[in-house]
Amino acid sequence: MKLDEQIQHYLDGLATAEEVQQLQNILLTQPDSRRLFADLANLDAALAEQAAGWESPVPANSAKSLRTPISHLGLAAAAALALIITGTWWLHSSRAVHATVARGIGSRVFSEGMQIQSADYKMQAGTVEFITARGAKVVIEAPASFRFENDQRLRLERGRVAADVPPSAKGFTVVTPTGQAVDLGTQFGVDVPQHGQAEIHVFKGEVIAQSTKGGKRQSLKDGQAYSLESGAGAAREIRSAAFIQPDEMPALQAALTSGQRARSDAAMAALRRDPALITLLDFENSKLPPGTFRMTQGRWPGSHAPEFVNVGDHMKLNAGADRSWPRLTLAAWVRLDRLEALYQSLYHTDGWDDDKRGQVHWIIKKDATMRLALKRNTLLPGSSEKEGFPDSATPVLPEKGRWVHLAVTYDADAKRIRFYLNGQLDKECLQATAHPALLGPAQIGNWNSQDRKLSGRVDELILLGRTMTDDEIRALFDAGNPYR
Amino acid sequence: MSPAEIEEHQRFLRSLTAHEPAVRAYVRRLVPSRADADDVMQEVAIVLWEKFSEFQEGSEFRPWAFGIARFKVLSWLRDKGRDRLVLSEEVVDLIAEETAQDETRLERQRRALETCTQKLEPEQKQLLMQAYQPQARIQQVAAISGRSVTGFYQWLHRLRRLLADCVQRELAKEDAS
Repeated sequence: MKLDEQIQHYLDGLATAEEVQQLQNILLTQPDSRRLFADLANLDAALAEQAAGWESPVPANSAKSLRTPISHLGLAAAAALALIITGTWWLHSSRAVHATVARGIGSRVFSEGMQIQSADYKMQAGTVEFITARGAKVVIEAPASFRFENDQRLRLERGRVAADVPPSAKGFTVVTPTGQAVDLGTQFGVDVPQHGQAEIHVFKGEVIAQSTKGGKRQSLKDGQAYSLESGAGAAREIRSAAFIQPDEMPALQAALTSGQRARSDAAMAALRRDPALITLLDFENSKLPPGTFRMTQGRWPGSHAPEFVNVGDHMKLNAGADRSWPRLTLAAWVRLDRLEALYQSLYHTDGWDDDKRGQVHWIIKKDATMRLALKRNTLLPGSSEKEGFPDSATPVLPEKGRWVHLAVTYDADAKRIRFYLNGQLDKECLQATAHPALLGPAQIGNWNSQDRKLSGRVDELILLGRTMTDDEIRALFDAGNPYR
Repeated sequence: MSPAEIEEHQRFLRSLTAHEPAVRAYVRRLVPSRADADDVMQEVAIVLWEKFSEFQEGSEFRPWAFGIARFKVLSWLRDKGRDRLVLSEEVVDLIAEETAQDETRLERQRRALETCTQKLEPEQKQLLMQAYQPQARIQQVAAISGRSVTGFYQWLHRLRRLLADCVQRELAKEDAS
């Protein structure tokens, strides 16, 4: 036997007493042999390390004979150790209750108090808050498929999870198809879209991220995000509002149980009969406008809303091109993920050309105020506007990222723009020159090819060829408000 | 736990998570089997936590952890050595001493291995990973592969030799560039 075979033999536990003795003599007398020994033992350790983080590509059912992978001290070190130290071990029994449903919003499967064992769940609609046996709050938003493997380990095949992990549940881990996130006492979110890589977002505290392939560990702190890609992962923009947090749940649930959804549907139905309606996008129709965007859940369980994530994501719209509009109302429900961008496009007609008087750009700016810009309109002399365009006064993003209702009305004859935030008049602005609004080819969430990306979701976007009154906008907000 | 203890615990877990592969690989060089390494590693982790208050902030976690692991392994050997086929304390101590000095090179090897296993055929990789699963049963994996146990070990040996060669090439490539 060659020396490397002898060493492997020993490392595989196959060596006889005689062979061990022989190996020992060689190792003791020959430094080179010790170096080879170290190399091979190192290879063995590294392979074991990889195997511990390896996920079988074979469908789970047929691979069960080899037991579901992981839960080596490997990356689960933090989890396991926290438990070793507190003197307990997680329960292996399949009967064990790993989590309890604290709140189920719009889900037929999950009702309050329901006990969750290790089983595969698919959630088509709604948002559900679980409390794990160790006290972590975990909100999962549909569409999702997942399984609590134990009280410290959630396997997420698809969907969106926000976790709030107290010290007692430190080490709580979310496993995705492309990697995992181990919490070190924190608030974080994991997004596994239907297409594309899973992402980890850390709102507060610290999380260790690890891609399945490549295996590098990445420590993420407050405000950092990371995509779990094959090979090395990559830093991403944090999208804190992309996740429904535990503290958002009660208000959502209260609105739903009070029948808010029916009021919203009735308001939309009434608007559809409005003769001045140019377009109403509620995204529930199977015929969606063209573009690049993700479909996510809207304000209601099982409803739909486009989400814009990457630069260049957009939705194309061509409405109201047949004439100009002396009076106009624009309104939408928006859930903004982040604000770092200089401009975010709510609705941008294509281009910005001198010959297109009155073409419309509806924008959210970096300071989170709205802007309604019409080409070649001018401000009144001595106007208090600082940037040369009519801007709203109050930032549209509340402290926490939630759904907000944005609206603006325009009257070219009265030369007046009125901004509304959550049904309340925010600011009025008068123009010196006011052209009738020009609509036509436009984009939501983007401008031109790759500019002014909107980060977040849009729901119920309305273009109306008249100015809504304060009361009407108030009513529109009241009827569509997903919170109570 | 008090807030200070939680803070301390968090600091510890962070260090351990960062250095655990190195410490585990170190232990693996000193004990006969992977299962032994797992056992010892659990004890090492607990001792590390117990002694963490003595660990000086700012000094290096890894050498400190190696020292504790070495001590744990030697007492484990004294314990198990009588009824197990293990290398003598003398050899183990020699390997412990030398390889602790050599950790930079060994760590580079472990990293290069990731590149090398990516190059394997999917079926090869799957079998290899199955054989290295914690608590894997070689008889079972051999059966899946359609080989005898002896045949499987031979296959495994050939594959590891390929990987070892690949690791050498990868490191040579890194050194050249």
